[in-house]
Amino acid sequence: MSAVPAKAKLDDLALELKRGRRRRSIRKYLTAYGFLAPAFVFLIVFLFIPLVISIYLSFTDYKLLTAPNWVGLGNYEKLFQDPLFWRGLRNSFIYLIATPILIALSISLAIVVNRALKGVYIFRTLYYIPAVTSVVAVGMIFEFVFAEPSGLINGLLLSLGVIQRPINFLTHPDSTLISIMLVTIWRGIGFYMIIFLSALQAVPEELYEAAAIDGANKLQQHWHITVPGIRPSIVFVAIISSISALKVFEEIWVMTNGTGGVLDSALTLMFYLYRQGFIFLEMGYAAAIAVVFAVITLVFSIMNFRYLERNTHDGPQQI
Amino acid sequence: MTAHSRSDSPWRRRLRRWTENSFWYTIMIAFALVTALPFLWTALMSVRPNSANIFRVNQAPQILPIPGMIGWGEGLRIAQAEGSYSGPNGFWRNFEPEITPLLSDELRPFTFPATTANYYRVWTDVNLPRYFVNSFVVAFWVVVLQLITSSLAAYPLSKMQFRGRDAIFYLILATIIFPDQLTLIPTFIISVQVLGLADTLQGLVIPFGANAFGIFLLRQTYQSIPNELIESARIDGASELLIWWRILLPLIRPGLATLAIFSFVGSWNSFLWPLLMLRDQSMYTLPIGLAFLEGAFTGNLRTVAAGVMVATVPIIIVFLIFQRQFIRGLSGAVKG
Repeated sequence: MSAVPAKAKLDDLALELKRGRRRRSIRKYLTAYGFLAPAFVFLIVFLFIPLVISIYLSFTDYKLLTAPNWVGLGNYEKLFQDPLFWRGLRNSFIYLIATPILIALSISLAIVVNRALKGVYIFRTLYYIPAVTSVVAVGMIFEFVFAEPSGLINGLLLSLGVIQRPINFLTHPDSTLISIMLVTIWRGIGFYMIIFLSALQAVPEELYEAAAIDGANKLQQHWHITVPGIRPSIVFVAIISSISALKVFEEIWVMTNGTGGVLDSALTLMFYLYRQGFIFLEMGYAAAIAVVFAVITLVFSIMNFRYLERNTHDGPQQI
Repeated sequence: MTAHSRSDSPWRRRLRRWTENSFWYTIMIAFALVTALPFLWTALMSVRPNSANIFRVNQAPQILPIPGMIGWGEGLRIAQAEGSYSGPNGFWRNFEPEITPLLSDELRPFTFPATTANYYRVWTDVNLPRYFVNSFVVAFWVVVLQLITSSLAAYPLSKMQFRGRDAIFYLILATIIFPDQLTLIPTFIISVQVLGLADTLQGLVIPFGANAFGIFLLRQTYQSIPNELIESARIDGASELLIWWRILLPLIRPGLATLAIFSFVGSWNSFLWPLLMLRDQSMYTLPIGLAFLEGAFTGNLRTVAAGVMVATVPIIIVFLIFQRQFIRGLSGAVKG
């Protein structure tokens, strides 16, 4: 007899508990989203919405001051017949050559400064300085270095009689892009060197000792121990420097004074996007360039994404 | 590094260490020159009084500055004619006649009289201090906003259980794969036509109020904090906001410092966005002001060089002061 009300009471209690739990879980839910809200306001307005609009605009003839008209694939058809688009694409891919050079140089430099020599910290710090200097300043500094005929390089070589005529670093269509790439490389070495240095310091010293006992010389040691040991960093640097090589804009703007170089010789995809969108105000057309650009960088970006994602599963990280 | 265990005589070992070290120092000094020479060259140009070439065929290069026309303020022209000027708004003096006789004959062809005139011209003609302040204000608020939004958002993503958590995390992480260039045009349209942010410093801050990479980075940092700490605070009845503010923020300070350094440098050096947003000269940030220096002083590269020096040297000094944090922050962010 008394078991029935007891069970009812128990059911009530269970219901109460369940309700409480649900109330608590709703509260938890609200708290979590409350914490996420400020970031999401910005991400929605300046990232998610623009992402959608960008793709939409690429199918229109939007010109900033007039309403957009749907033109279907018109922009893309025009794009693939546009010689300057192909020029930009070609130059952007040429710019990727900077990546392996940067990696080779910065690893070599990291190996050099990864030893207990007196004053080595001073050198490391010095090498990093270009990375904290703004690209605009670096570009202008190199305009002085490349100047004709009295810049640092031309002036020195001419006075020594090594060359008879000044080298046309920024005034000849064949050399403009390469000269600008040199600047990107110069500015990047110290930055990537620090990344490789911290990777090198994590390679166990015993491996080198064991290899030395086995009779491997220094070069073999680096090839068989250093390179595999810092492989994740090499992958990481390869990805981020490829993406930034494809994105390069500021160096080109500064060193060609906003023109894109003699005969558009330094015109990259990003520069062409800027010109169409913000000089000619052909925003629909520029949006199509942006979409193509995004598809190309996506390959590299997905690799970057997977790298970051893999790192999230590696447990607690030290920072 | 040396792991040779052969029994050499101490002399030979010392000799080998010496040759080895000098080899490494040679490489390091050579690369140090590659790094430093462009800066030194700019510095040299910024104190040149005339446009004569530094390197000349069959003559000594003029690479050693000695004090020449040094001073500040008005009266440079008078000083150039009479040797010195001292007035209520300025002081100039030509030190060249006093210094030159002190130099040895071998040294003299390498020297040239340095001047502060180019710096004075940049100071009066271009409002560089204003650009500095603008750049600083923008970078400061970008850092503040990003630290707040990222540290708030990363907390539930790493330490709370709720439905949709992983989906949201991947949504944020996925945005990293889209280049900013894809969103550039719509972001510009929204900022200018919808929010009316053209020609304002807010327009350089607000679009960068949240940073997906920052959220990712801080989530990693939160991950290293033991759950028990948060649980016990919850049992004590602390609200989540209080836990975040009083317990978690002090613990993730290294991560916050890394994010702060990155977003500060990123904002300080950013060029394309301010180039699009700013027309009004009084709103220019430093990179924009620098880029238009060339237009302001057409043909006078010495003055442009002085402007570049004024804009870069303070940043290099700040870096040298905080270099440890910079470099630790960078390696930390990569380990991630």
